Amino acid sequence: MPERELQCVVVTPEKAVLEEAADFVAVPMFDGELGVLPGRAPLIGRLGYGELRLRRGMEVRRFFIDGGFVQVRANTVTVLTARAQRAEDIDTNAVAQALHAALAPAPTPQAYEEQLKAQQRARAQLRVARHREEIRT
Amino acid sequence: MATTRMLVNRRKAVRNIKKITRTMELIATARFKKALDRATEAEAYTRKITEMAADLSASATDISHPLLQKREKVRSTLLLVIGSNRGLCGGYNAGILREANQRLGQIRSENIPLHLELSGKRPITFFRYQGIKPERTYTQFEDKPRFDEVEEIANRYIDGFTRGKYDRVEVAYMKFLNAARQVPVVETLLPLSQSSARDERPQEERPVEYEFLPNAADILQELLPVSFQVRLFKCFLDAAVSEQIARRVTMKQATENAEEMIKMLTRQYNRARQAQITKEIAEVIGGAAALE
Repeated sequence: MPERELQCVVVTPEKAVLEEAADFVAVPMFDGELGVLPGRAPLIGRLGYGELRLRRGMEVRRFFIDGGFVQVRANTVTVLTARAQRAEDIDTNAVAQALHAALAPAPTPQAYEEQLKAQQRARAQLRVARHREEIRT
Repeated sequence: MATTRMLVNRRKAVRNIKKITRTMELIATARFKKALDRATEAEAYTRKITEMAADLSASATDISHPLLQKREKVRSTLLLVIGSNRGLCGGYNAGILREANQRLGQIRSENIPLHLELSGKRPITFFRYQGIKPERTYTQFEDKPRFDEVEEIANRYIDGFTRGKYDRVEVAYMKFLNAARQVPVVETLLPLSQSSARDERPQEERPVEYEFLPNAADILQELLPVSFQVRLFKCFLDAAVSEQIARRVTMKQATENAEEMIKMLTRQYNRARQAQITKEIAEVIGGAAALE
């Protein structure tokens, strides 16, 4: 009888953000979303900017993940990221401002790359925030 | 009369100092606990990153990443010295600065251009006195270094290293071994030693067969900068914990010394008072004898 439950661990360099059981976990990979159910084969992957979703029963929790790595092993999903933010904590105005700043023309190719990253991050953050709004209404 | 008065005043002063050192000891204890908690929480991340790096390098054997490249000729070195902003922590800064200075002399004798960066007011004043100009100084790191701040510095180092501005990045700080032992060390963080990614691998019966997305080499490319950032962050955390320990120990000593001093002063005071009483009695008796 395989375990029907996943353990989801989110750690940042500063602290362990979350350690919880879940029925289903969706992680934002570098190229799209990846769903993990109990009994998944071991996996190591690169994360992009996006939404981490945990479903347990009827309850869904959302986090914004700022890149990093994921490891799935023995029904444990470990998310290593520089920053993890609860969807409820995203400050939409600040993010919109950051996006606006990132849209300004870049002087050097290097700065351009930086800005592209900032844009992606801000857009992903807004997306997560929007999901949160949709659920509320 | 004058001596007793003086002794009383002195004892009062020592008592006040004792109160201060005692309070500082308590504060340092509380801060130390907090800093240690942070360090242990960060430990989980470091451990996982190391574990993943080990798993990855087992699958992708020949990896070349600019951060792993050992330069044959070191043309410039960056030395970051992490000290404290405040004093009253015993030999903490002295130990780090001794190590750093030694390393500095070594680098000098090899005639390698040096970029010196300092964190904390104590190292800054020390090197100013020595007449060595640092390239950059930081004073924002207290007992709670934030990852964002460290990440910024780490990214600058990575950038400088890959562009060949620095050929080696070293950090002088107080390494935290356990609550009773901390040693000042100079560690080379860049180039990343490959062994550091491989060691501490728990011996498993059977290596887990991972699925890699996109592939092992690509993930490793991304993982290495992160692992450097984390190692630098750990240096700052270690330094914060060690500083609080050093302060606690020093303040404890100071409190004990103050106690001893109070005892000594009390004894002196009692003796002086007794001497005075004896003298007065002698005078009274002398006076009475003269009247007879």
